[in-house]
Amino acid sequence: MTIADAPGQTTVGLEEYHHISAFLFREARLADESRYAEWESLVEDDMLYWVPRGEGEFDMNLDISITADNRSRLRTRIRQLMTGKRHAQVPVSAMRRVVGNIEAERMPNGEFRVFSNFILHELRRSSTATVEVWAGRVEHRLRRRPDGSLGMFFKKVMLINGDEPLPSLAFII
Amino acid sequence: MNGFTKAIDDRAGLVDVASLVETDRVHGRLYTDPAVFEQEMSRIFYGGWVFVGHDSEIPDQGQYVRRTLGREEVLMVRRRDGSVGVMSNRCAHRGNLVCIKNQGKERYLTCPYHGWVYDLEGKLRDVPYPGGFAKDKAEFTLRALRSESYRGFVFASFTESVPPLVDHLGKATILIDRTCEMSPTGRIRLTAGWSKQRFYANWKMLPENDTDGYHVNDVHASFAEAIDSQYDAAAMGSETMMRSEAKDWGNGHTELDFSPTYDAPLKWLNSTPERFPEYVQRMLAAYGEEKGNRILRNGPPHAVIFPNLFLGEMNIVIFQPVSASEAVQWHTPLLLEDVPDSINSRIIRNSEAAMGPSAFLLADDSVISERQQMALRDRADWLDISRGLNRERIDELGVIVGHVTDEGTNRGFWQQYRKVMTGEAGVGPRPMALSA
Ligand code: FES
Ligand SMILES: [Fe+2]
Repeated sequence: MTIADAPGQTTVGLEEYHHISAFLFREARLADESRYAEWESLVEDDMLYWVPRGEGEFDMNLDISITADNRSRLRTRIRQLMTGKRHAQVPVSAMRRVVGNIEAERMPNGEFRVFSNFILHELRRSSTATVEVWAGRVEHRLRRRPDGSLGMFFKKVMLINGDEPLPSLAFII
Repeated sequence: MNGFTKAIDDRAGLVDVASLVETDRVHGRLYTDPAVFEQEMSRIFYGGWVFVGHDSEIPDQGQYVRRTLGREEVLMVRRRDGSVGVMSNRCAHRGNLVCIKNQGKERYLTCPYHGWVYDLEGKLRDVPYPGGFAKDKAEFTLRALRSESYRGFVFASFTESVPPLVDHLGKATILIDRTCEMSPTGRIRLTAGWSKQRFYANWKMLPENDTDGYHVNDVHASFAEAIDSQYDAAAMGSETMMRSEAKDWGNGHTELDFSPTYDAPLKWLNSTPERFPEYVQRMLAAYGEEKGNRILRNGPPHAVIFPNLFLGEMNIVIFQPVSASEAVQWHTPLLLEDVPDSINSRIIRNSEAAMGPSAFLLADDSVISERQQMALRDRADWLDISRGLNRERIDELGVIVGHVTDEGTNRGFWQQYRKVMTGEAGVGPRPMALSA
């Protein structure tokens, strides 16, 4: 799977753009605050959570990724974090991220494809107590649930430095 | 002595490492002292053999990859005659970096600063504005390192006079053989790229931790709780139940051997033969029933080749020292030649689960190492590595064998470290005086 820039499908209306932005902000806040169960409630059954080694032409089946979780592996990841014994997140990192430059489009099947940029500051409380800066581009794919809320079935995080040495990344980015 | 090696004969400045490494304990200063780190650069990383990469990374003429050996920038290049060379990535003119990309393919290597052009052998071919350059071009090259390979694993040394690679590998060629024999053709392909994980910790904690079978229950408790894996039986059972072994193969090469625990084929892949029938068939066809079944049951080695290569089961791993308090662990999945794609994809997914910054295992190991580095920062004295000295045995190959939770692997690493750092011959069998 590769991703180019957002091609011009139908752009979304103001109200839809607002809903989508609110979803992204909420998703970011739950991740920042390590509220794993609530974060997981945003995820659909066909979720793919993918952190390739940057923005290049990476193929999940041929190239090593930093993270490549299907729904079941993501469930395991969250279960591991929730044991309270995941040393890399004991105590959890203090984090705040800013999400911006949101571009959203509606696909022919009614799903949304959303691109955004983020900057995340992480205080590594589990070891060095230093602040790490993480930055990159994210592609979300969202769809409406029967109750009208949005659910996420794809999140691809393209770190600007994904192909450089990265410190422990046990939190949800 | 060639131009690469710093003045390692300046003995006045040497740290007395012999006084800091004993059989059953090592001194905390070895992880923190910048003078020790400098001595490691000259003695271990520039004085002996170090792993560079695998020749499957550069199949075509002109392909190269950049690597850092010690702190030196080098290139591993597929030369015109098909051989693999390792050369400095520093221009012979005024020392600029010649190749910037992590990998590429070129007919000639051109320095971006003033445009000197080298061929794939590192010979200077062209100098812009030649009218002002009266020296003989033959005097200028991208300096070649001494390099040798074993089954495609390329090693290099900055020291021309280093004894042959096989002397350094010693019995550990068996470990590399076992890695290659996971493939029905005996050939592996490192083509999935490298993931790199930063440790704010001394590089020696990487080989130590990767062959430490004692930490698994504690550091990886969350993993065990969240997922069932082959490690439950192999490395997390009770002391009396576990049959896995810690092995010291000599010359600093050490192994955690999980194979005595595996009672069925493909346990090492956390899978079964029914899931991968074609792979099983090809392996049996290639190696015959007996050996094929043995390989399929025993699985790949989990072993460190001194000083910077880790045969991490279905991963190949490089330790890169950065400073006394920082290191990088590189890893790439061990892909197999001539097997169904499904098994190589499985190997890639397993690799991400175990290794790298977000893995179920390594994300915790790096943080544990960082805590150790913080605690050792200043006035630490002796660290104990005596575990298992009371129950070691020597097997028919001369390998020192202990319980999987024992520290014989770490003792093996440190004995070689001591030899190399103090300038005793870095080769040959170590004295076997450790038997209970
Ligand atoms: S430094 Fe390379 S050409 Fe001048
Ligand atoms: Fe570990």
